Amino acid sequence: MKTSPFRIFFNTGAWAVLAFLLLPLLVVIPISLTDTSYIGLPKEHLSLQHYENYFSSAEWLGATWTSIWIGVAVAIAATVLGTAFSIGCWLISSRASTIARWVLIVPILVPPVVQSLGFYRFWVKLDLIDTYFGVILAHTLLALPYVSISVFTALANLDRRITQAARSLGASVWQTVISVIIPAIRPGMLTGGIFAFIVSFDEIVGVLFLTVRTVNTLPKQIWEGIQESIDPTIAAVATFLVVLSLIATAAVSLRKKTA
Amino acid sequence: MSNPILSIRNSVKRYGPVHALDHVDLDVAEGEFLTLLGPSGSGKTTLLTAIAGFTDLSEGSVSLRGRDITNEPPEHRDFGMVFQGYALFPTMTVRQNVGFPLKIRKRPASEIRARVDECLELVQMGAYADRMPSQLSGGQQQRIALARALSFKPQVLLLDEPLSALDKKLRADLQWELKALHDQLGVTFIYVTHDQDEALSMSDRIVILKDGKIQQSGIPDTLYNKPRTRFVADFLGKSNFLSVKVKSREGDHLECVAGEAAFPVDATGHSGTVGNSAEIALRPERIRLTEPGKEFLTGTVKQVSYLGERCQVLLTHSVLGQILVSCPTWKSGINPNPGLQLGFGWDADACVILEAE
Repeated sequence: MKTSPFRIFFNTGAWAVLAFLLLPLLVVIPISLTDTSYIGLPKEHLSLQHYENYFSSAEWLGATWTSIWIGVAVAIAATVLGTAFSIGCWLISSRASTIARWVLIVPILVPPVVQSLGFYRFWVKLDLIDTYFGVILAHTLLALPYVSISVFTALANLDRRITQAARSLGASVWQTVISVIIPAIRPGMLTGGIFAFIVSFDEIVGVLFLTVRTVNTLPKQIWEGIQESIDPTIAAVATFLVVLSLIATAAVSLRKKTA
Repeated sequence: MSNPILSIRNSVKRYGPVHALDHVDLDVAEGEFLTLLGPSGSGKTTLLTAIAGFTDLSEGSVSLRGRDITNEPPEHRDFGMVFQGYALFPTMTVRQNVGFPLKIRKRPASEIRARVDECLELVQMGAYADRMPSQLSGGQQQRIALARALSFKPQVLLLDEPLSALDKKLRADLQWELKALHDQLGVTFIYVTHDQDEALSMSDRIVILKDGKIQQSGIPDTLYNKPRTRFVADFLGKSNFLSVKVKSREGDHLECVAGEAAFPVDATGHSGTVGNSAEIALRPERIRLTEPGKEFLTGTVKQVSYLGERCQVLLTHSVLGQILVSCPTWKSGINPNPGLQLGFGWDADACVILEAE
């Protein structure tokens, strides 16, 4: 079979687009292995010195851990609040609850700078500037729409009569939520939690507005690293994050296959 | 009714200006198989969900053995419920589903296990205890839902169109099983359906609803053979409707006329004043077909529909209009073809005088 010129054109085009998307991401890998002390491709040989620097720098490691534990706290808080909100709306299922759902999703549409400015003005009044709690609170609010969308999608697939069935069989509303609804929407909650973690983990605008010296997250550290110096450690950190993401994605898809 | 298990008094449910239930009174006897029958929008499901506690009545009361339960939440009413969509818990096995009501009631594990086995045997699903609901067919899922609703020995079992989602043959099989289960357990069943065959084949008593009101209630035989209104006669089975004038009355025997056609009508329990007009319902299977001249009316065959066990013949009569006749194919002895002239007639007790609606 002869391949038509059109097909060759579209195939080449598709690969070119893919390369355009991926290559800037992958270029951090050779840079992270550079033997120079500035950002650039390796000159004479490959070197792991910048990885060594990352894993031995208290500043970098501290920022990484801060981002991770803030992310986990945000994931837990946003999943609990978002799930409670969604189940409540689903059970009530009135016009008011539909409006409430839309209102909760609106913050996605607001530009991050505007939102951060809003946070900043409020957080100053509440005395939350440069506190861990302040960052976690702001990130939880940013992550809530994603959790509620994900949980609501799971609820939409659930037969409403399941609630009626549980109650006719003697379960109170609370027992129905705990023993019937939550187990059925657990995949949606998990997805929402992962989303919330990611939202928090790479959030930079809010952190720049809300923190000074005490709270230092990884995105902020990278940002300041680029501003102050041209240290290739940033490329090592970036590569490390890419590899971590790949492992996480592979783990999730493997789990789905076996499930 | 002496000591009804369930009493509904003067129940009203309004949705804006619409009355889903319009002053309905209903008593349910202990151990009865009661069917609420009606077209969609008749209020039958509203009545059932009001009994279950999912619909708050605008007015009126529900009482269980004399105790007012109008404001009790569903979980305190102790009624099992079976739904059209089965509503099994998707994350639980069959065993966990059936044991759920007992677990909620904090019964010991050994008792739950024994009772679940017993209930699964009851619906012939003993071999499926460890399956997930998604691995079962529709009919199997509905058996599990039934076992689950019966496992805690409910006061009353409420069934909301439980067979509607199943195919015809399975539906017929399950009708026999449901009836047998009811007779075996003696539990009170309240069954909602829009399917007249289900209502007729299983019920001890049928309540026919229309526009939120009870039209008529009674045993299946009475409702079928003595419908009070045109709606009941039309909804339960097929009927011919004749507009007639009462010509003469002798005791319970009326002589009615429609044009030049005259025929006898049994008026037991009806006033039927001479000179008044009346509407009469006549079941298609009560009409006899003969050669022309051997019965008191003559008509022309317009259309014939062969249904296997029965044959439906549509006759036209000069005054009465179209008349539907249903005769068993195995004994009709005549071979109706369109255009053929046939004699037709019926016994006086085949006619039912209808009340004006």
